[in-house]
Amino acid sequence: MTPAKNLLNYSYYPGCSLHASAKEYDESTRGLFRALKIGLHEVPDWLCCGATPAHNVDELLSLSLCAKNLSLAEEVGGDLAVACAACFSRLKVTQHRLADNEEKRRQVEYAIDGKVSFDNKVKHLLEILAKDFGLDRLTAAVRKPLEGLKVACYYGCLLTRPPEVPELDDCEAPTIMERVIGAAGAETVTWSHRMECCGANFTLSRPGVVLKLSGDILASAKAAGANCILVACPLCHGNLDIRQKEIEEASGQWFGMPVFYMTQLLALAVGVAPAKLGFDSMIVNPLPLLKEKGLV
Amino acid sequence: MKHSKMRLSTETMNLGFVRKVEALSGSSVRRCFQCGKCSAGCPMRSFMEHPPNRIVRFLQLGQYERVLAGRSIWYCASCETCTTRCPNKVDLAAIMDALRKCSWDAKGPSKESLVQLANRLFIENIRTYGRQYEMRLAAVFNVKSGQFLKDLMLGPKLITKGKLRMFHQKNRNIAEIENIFARIEALRKKGEAP
Ligand code: SF4
Ligand code: SF4
Repeated sequence: MTPAKNLLNYSYYPGCSLHASAKEYDESTRGLFRALKIGLHEVPDWLCCGATPAHNVDELLSLSLCAKNLSLAEEVGGDLAVACAACFSRLKVTQHRLADNEEKRRQVEYAIDGKVSFDNKVKHLLEILAKDFGLDRLTAAVRKPLEGLKVACYYGCLLTRPPEVPELDDCEAPTIMERVIGAAGAETVTWSHRMECCGANFTLSRPGVVLKLSGDILASAKAAGANCILVACPLCHGNLDIRQKEIEEASGQWFGMPVFYMTQLLALAVGVAPAKLGFDSMIVNPLPLLKEKGLV
Repeated sequence: MKHSKMRLSTETMNLGFVRKVEALSGSSVRRCFQCGKCSAGCPMRSFMEHPPNRIVRFLQLGQYERVLAGRSIWYCASCETCTTRCPNKVDLAAIMDALRKCSWDAKGPSKESLVQLANRLFIENIRTYGRQYEMRLAAVFNVKSGQFLKDLMLGPKLITKGKLRMFHQKNRNIAEIENIFARIEALRKKGEAP
């Protein structure tokens, strides 16, 4: 990769899920950004951000793991692009909390044996696409408009919360996902559950929680007339896609609702080959829908 | 329910515990005026025996043992809805973190063991490998929780879809990661970190 040719350059933090259960998010992100000439340079030896379990019981550990990642990202330079909504929230919260709490900052700097880095901003992929790259340029790059798709944009919890931290969009009525996917020619639906929790990491310890909460989300998207759901978080994807069959069995409702990562559909729209977008690793097969709409 | 006159005084309040939670969370517990907005939006309220606003009320009344022994704090999904909507800027999501830490440090008086087990394995994975390996996490959880059959059907499907890695490597900087854990423990031993 030669950075000079790129329009923009970022360091890139994929996060643990993108190396396993969400590999199609990683592949489609890289494919999309390559097509748009946005450079992504993976942070060397990045480690787990600690996600929810760490901050749930040990704030100092959570802040330290994130601060370590921020300092590893400095070796690459540029703002830090983050794909997972949960990693994004944790990394951003860390900068925010440590900027105005000297005591915590001293503890963290002792733990990581280094300075906390505040210079480079933590940005979610959506923010990069909508603000840095810009919707006009995105529209101009579209070769195959996503016509016929009725998309329910699902934000989940952490893209816009806590309110004073992510700065991504309005914390109660965001529109950034609709604007981004709309720029690629898709129609979006208005629906009730776009910011309700999917059950998050209870998928391991208390899957019953996920069956109920994610079931409500699927039902709401269906009722609004959507033919697919768009997500920007691997945890949300796991709950809505991987557990969808189970949810159908438990609730007695049929959804058959493909759940796409936003980068999969955007990459498809700008002309990345479908074979490179991981559609075959989705549990709810999206190909019938995409074929019906003439998109593959 | 029996109604009795409520007594609020500095003695019944256990200000010591309230201050501890306030220091850990960086949020006021006392500012809550029980509007219930947090609980109205809480996705987990139907799984909790006490919804979030009642947790705050218990703290105000000094009944923190009830909070720590209950399951509710472990059923909070950290979705931050309550924090976003509280008219008094009570950061309830941070208070939940603080309460879990109190319960965790006291070796978990709560009966909710599964969520705590999942948290513990998750954190151990970071210390040992640097990253999270979902396959390992799920496998060890199923063995330790005694739920061998759980998600049995899901596993093979995910492996053929390439979603679970059977083999994985440790981070190269694993020694540095161990140092982070060790230094935090050292800080705590010296009483210089909560
Ligand atoms: S929203 Fe705030 S003030 Fe209202 S009950 Fe909840 S914590 Fe108390
Ligand atoms: S952060 Fe916890 S208590 Fe607050 S609304 Fe979400 S699940 Fe409920």
